[in-house]
Amino acid sequence: MYADTVAQDRLVTKPGFLLACFFLSSAGFFFAGLGDSFFGHLLAPVSGDPETSGRFGDFAVAVTLAMLFTANVVALSFVPWLIQVVLVWLELLALFLLFFYSFDLSIEFIERKIWFMISRGLFTTLYVSAISIAIASAIAIVGAIAKLSSNGFAFAIASFYTSFFRGLPLLMQVYLIYLGLPQLGYVVDAVPAGILALSLCYGAYMTEIFRAGIESIHKGQWEAARALGFRFPTTMRKIILPQALPLIIPPTGNQFIAMLKDSSLVSVIGVWELMFLARTLGQKEFRHLEMLITAALIYWVLTIILEVIQARIERHYRQKK
Amino acid sequence: MKIIQHVLFTFALALTGANFALAGDTLDRVKEAGVLKVATDADWAPQSFLNDDNEMDGFDVDVAKEIAERMGIEVEFVTPDWTVITSGNWAGRWDISVGSMTPTAERAQVLEFPGIYYYTPASFAVHNDSSAQTKTDLNGKKIGACTACTYEFYLQHDLNIDAEGVPPFSYDVTPGEIVSMQDPAILFDNLRLGDGVRLDGMIDSLPAIRAAIENGAPIRVLGTPAFYEPLAVAIDKGDEEFHHALKDIIQLMHRDGTLTRISEKWYGIDYSQSSN
Repeated sequence: MYADTVAQDRLVTKPGFLLACFFLSSAGFFFAGLGDSFFGHLLAPVSGDPETSGRFGDFAVAVTLAMLFTANVVALSFVPWLIQVVLVWLELLALFLLFFYSFDLSIEFIERKIWFMISRGLFTTLYVSAISIAIASAIAIVGAIAKLSSNGFAFAIASFYTSFFRGLPLLMQVYLIYLGLPQLGYVVDAVPAGILALSLCYGAYMTEIFRAGIESIHKGQWEAARALGFRFPTTMRKIILPQALPLIIPPTGNQFIAMLKDSSLVSVIGVWELMFLARTLGQKEFRHLEMLITAALIYWVLTIILEVIQARIERHYRQKK
Repeated sequence: MKIIQHVLFTFALALTGANFALAGDTLDRVKEAGVLKVATDADWAPQSFLNDDNEMDGFDVDVAKEIAERMGIEVEFVTPDWTVITSGNWAGRWDISVGSMTPTAERAQVLEFPGIYYYTPASFAVHNDSSAQTKTDLNGKKIGACTACTYEFYLQHDLNIDAEGVPPFSYDVTPGEIVSMQDPAILFDNLRLGDGVRLDGMIDSLPAIRAAIENGAPIRVLGTPAFYEPLAVAIDKGDEEFHHALKDIIQLMHRDGTLTRISEKWYGIDYSQSSN
C-alpha cells in the first residue's frame, strides 16, 4: 500500500478502538462457549468448577481471554514492524499447534510413519510435479506461439486446447485419461496418466502466461529484429524470449506451487504420493487424523520453502531490470 | 479417424514415457513377465493394508502371494480405486484382483470369477450409544456403505450373488438414507463420532468391523449377520487357460488347508468354508 506521510494518531491510542476490540473479542469467545474447555480448567479457582459453572464460566473465560487479546494487541503496537510480523506469526503458529495438540494425537505413531511418508510420498509428489511442470512449459510455449499466430488453423487448435483443459475439473481429466485411453488401446499406468493429466491441464493455464509474456514485448523489438534480417525462430530465441522470461518465470513458479498441491488428485488412481499415503497409512490402527495432519504440515512446509525460493527469483529479475 | 487418434496419442504418450502394453493373453503375459500384478485395496484392514514396514499385508495379500508362489512367479501389488477394479476392462494393467470381491450377476458381465476363496458374514454396526437392538431398528435411518460394493447393493435391495452354495438372505433393513463413501475407512471414522452424528449405522464385512473394535472404535456389531457372501478372485474376460489355472490353484488351496491356515492367521476363524 502507499505509505501515507500524513501523521495520524495510532489506532491503539484511541479508546474507542480498544473498547471495540475488547467487547467484540469477548462476545466472540463467549459464543464459542469455552467454559468447559482447557481455559475453563485454568480459571477454575476463580470461576468455579468448569463442569457446573455454565454460562457464568463461559463469561469469565471470555472476559479473561478478551483482556489478554486486547493487551496483546496493545503490546504488539509498540514494537517495530518486523518484530510485529514475527511475533504474530509465532502466536498464530502456537495457537495452531495447540489446536492440533487438543486432538490427542499419537506422536509415536507419526514418528513411526513419517519417514515413509517423506521418502515415498513426498518424493513421488515432487517428481510427478517436477516432470509435469517441465512438460507443461514445453506445451505452453508451443501453445502461446500458436495462439499469437496469424494462422487460423494453429490458433484454433491452441484455443480449443486451452478452452477444453481449463474448462474441466482436473480430477475429471485424471479419470478421463486413466480410464479413457485404454479404450483406444493404449494402456497408461497410473503415474504416466497422472503426469499427462497434470501436464495438459497446467499446460493450458501456462499457455496464457506465456502468451501474455510474449505479448508484453514491444512491437518495436519485432520490427528491429526484422530489420536486422532475423527469421522468426532466431527472433524468438535471441530477442523476444530473453525479455519475456522475466515476466514468465515468476508466475510459472506459482503454478508449480499450485501443482504440488493439485498433484494430490492423482491419488485416486492409486499413485502412492503424499495424499494417498495420508489416507491409507493410518487405516490399520484407525489413526487417520494423525496421517492427514502430518501430510498437511509436510505440504505446508514445502510450500513455504518454495515461496521463499519464488520470492528470491522474483527479486533477482526485478534487480536485473 | 483411427489414424488421427493414433498419431495424437502416440505423441502424447511418447512425452510421458508410458508403456505400450496392450491387452493380450493374460497367462502368456504373466509367465513372460514372471510377475503376477495383483489389484487390491490399501485401505481395508485386515484384508489388505499397509503394515508397519509400509508393505502390503493382510488376508487378501497373503492369498495373492500364495497364488503367485504356486504359479512360480513374483507378485506385485497395485492399488487402484475399487470402482475402477469392478468396472472391468483392465486392458492388461493388472492381471488379477484378489480383493474379496463378491461374484454378482452384474459384475459377471464384465469380469470372470475363477474361484471363491472364502466366505464372510456381512454385518451392521452401530455406535455403542445407539439404542438399536436388532437390525430392523435401523429402518428409516442413515446407514453408511462403501460405494459400489455388495453392502451398498444390499441396502438398495439389489444384491444378486452369482455363485453356488450361497445361503439365502432377506432384506431386513430399509434405510431412510444410504450414505455411500468411496473409502470404507471413512465410514468407521464417521460412525465413531457418535450415535446419529453423521451415521446411525453402517454395514461392512464382519471381520473389518471386528478389527475396528479391536483398535478401539466405540462401536458394536448389531444382531446377526445380514448375509453371507462368497468372495472370489476376479480376472478380466477372455483367457480360459488362465481361468482354469487359477481355478485349480484355488481348489487345491482349499483342499490342502492353506486357506484355512491363512484365514485363522488373520481372523482367528476359518472362513474358507461356506458352512459357517
